[in-house]
Amino acid sequence: MTGSLSPRVAGLLAVAGAGAVAALASGRPELAVLAAPLLLFAGVGLALAQRPRVSASIELDRDRLLEGERARATVTLANHGASRAEVELLLAGSALLALEPPGPVLVGVAPGATTTLELTALARRWGAHSVGPALVRVRDPLGIRAWSGQLGGRLALRAFPREQRLRELVAPLATQPFLGSHVARVRGEGIEFADVRPFAPGDRARQVNWRATARRGALYVTERHPEHASDVVLLLDTFAEARGGAGGTLDAAVRAAAALARAHLARRDRVALVDFGGTLHWLEPAFGTAQLYRIVDALLASEIAFSYAWRAVESIPRRVLPPTGLILAITPLLDERSLRLLADLRRRGADVTVIEVSPFAHTPPGRTESDAVAHRLWRLQREAIRARLQSLGIGVAVWEEDAMLGPALEGVNRFRRSARRSLRV
Amino acid sequence: MTLLAEIALVAIAALVVVAAVARLPRGAPPGLRRRGLPPPARPAQLERLERLVSVSGASALQAHAHLRPLLAEIAARRLAARGLALGRMGDEAGRELLGERLWDLVRPGRPFPEDRTAPGVSASELAAMVRVLESL
Repeated sequence: MTGSLSPRVAGLLAVAGAGAVAALASGRPELAVLAAPLLLFAGVGLALAQRPRVSASIELDRDRLLEGERARATVTLANHGASRAEVELLLAGSALLALEPPGPVLVGVAPGATTTLELTALARRWGAHSVGPALVRVRDPLGIRAWSGQLGGRLALRAFPREQRLRELVAPLATQPFLGSHVARVRGEGIEFADVRPFAPGDRARQVNWRATARRGALYVTERHPEHASDVVLLLDTFAEARGGAGGTLDAAVRAAAALARAHLARRDRVALVDFGGTLHWLEPAFGTAQLYRIVDALLASEIAFSYAWRAVESIPRRVLPPTGLILAITPLLDERSLRLLADLRRRGADVTVIEVSPFAHTPPGRTESDAVAHRLWRLQREAIRARLQSLGIGVAVWEEDAMLGPALEGVNRFRRSARRSLRV
Repeated sequence: MTLLAEIALVAIAALVVVAAVARLPRGAPPGLRRRGLPPPARPAQLERLERLVSVSGASALQAHAHLRPLLAEIAARRLAARGLALGRMGDEAGRELLGERLWDLVRPGRPFPEDRTAPGVSASELAAMVRVLESL
């Protein structure tokens, strides 16, 4: 710990100095005598001050939680010195953790004793947070010297995005020949009825439709649609965001991405993640719970990285973008680069759907008349951007953060059904 | 007696000074402050529009070069939703649907303003145009 003189010393010296000067100026030694105890006090304090021997350890009752939940942090202070230590303690933490109590805590620790303090950490937002170290300041009993430093380690606390149950998902146009939950367009082994056709060599006896056979006097078989999985790519736009006091579009986008990843993986789809912005990160498509944890971990590290770099679709590795996969772009549609990327992907034949995270909740109109007009114009401009994307065959689901994501996806499914003829995948 | 009074006065003054020194603010040592929330971020897309509205009011050239394409795109999209095409719209129909001022700005083939230093579209004029577009 680093030692320093308390501001009290300056006050004492100033008063003593003033007394001495006054004594000299007025020729009255009583004033100097009066100032002497102050100097004596400071001198005794400095002589008696001993470097404190305090240690601290921090423990968390959990290392992962959902955003909006609290974790309990226990700080154990031990005084190994010979005198009582008055410890001022402030637990450090990530910016998005609200630690309670918010200010420093003053606690006295007797020599050879230990004291525990209970603090709570509220995860205001998802993310890979940290708690600790403890910033401490110890004063000597007379308050003349102070030692400050950092004790204890830095503990990781991962806050996962709030879960949002999704009943309806965007239906992919193409499926993969893996067992899944989507009824494929092709015919094969499955449950969903497709058609009845005459028997052909190679058909199995169990496929024979006896009712049709009896009616038509010839062997007929039932054709079915198999249940297949699909490839889903979650494209998270981290070029730009709108951020208000309490949150921003990136916060909401990560929540949406986590919910979509969970729902698609539960339906046995292969899910990939592309964090597309100033920096580029990706996870290749994979199935299962392990992939969900990988995606959530990657999402927790998402941030807006300011960059002028122009990124095109070529910068995304091909193996991350399966040719018949469904691309779900979660974007606030605020950056021209992401708009170009979406249009480019669509022109290359990709099945693209946009989940637009609305920025309006975080961006109130300005106070002047011209700013208010600009804000209204902005709404119209965004409508035009949306229409431009839809004219390319890209479904756009507008999602207000406070609303459920499911209804927005239902709307985009309706658009995709009506626009399917124009989609060439 | 005078000496005793002076001593008492000085003693009281000393007590006041000591009390004042004891109440000196301790001050937060370096590192004893937590970081705050990330600052609000206003989208560049909106800031560009705010600047565009300002400069379009000052110059007809700016209004023609930058504001006009934006308004034309919005008008075209809004009209397309009603089955109308801005590019094939006649003067009379355009004026009727969009109003004199907006049609004059977004009409196809509008020439470059001759007086480039003339005032452009004021905020109140633009507000009226936006109102028309919103009502389409």
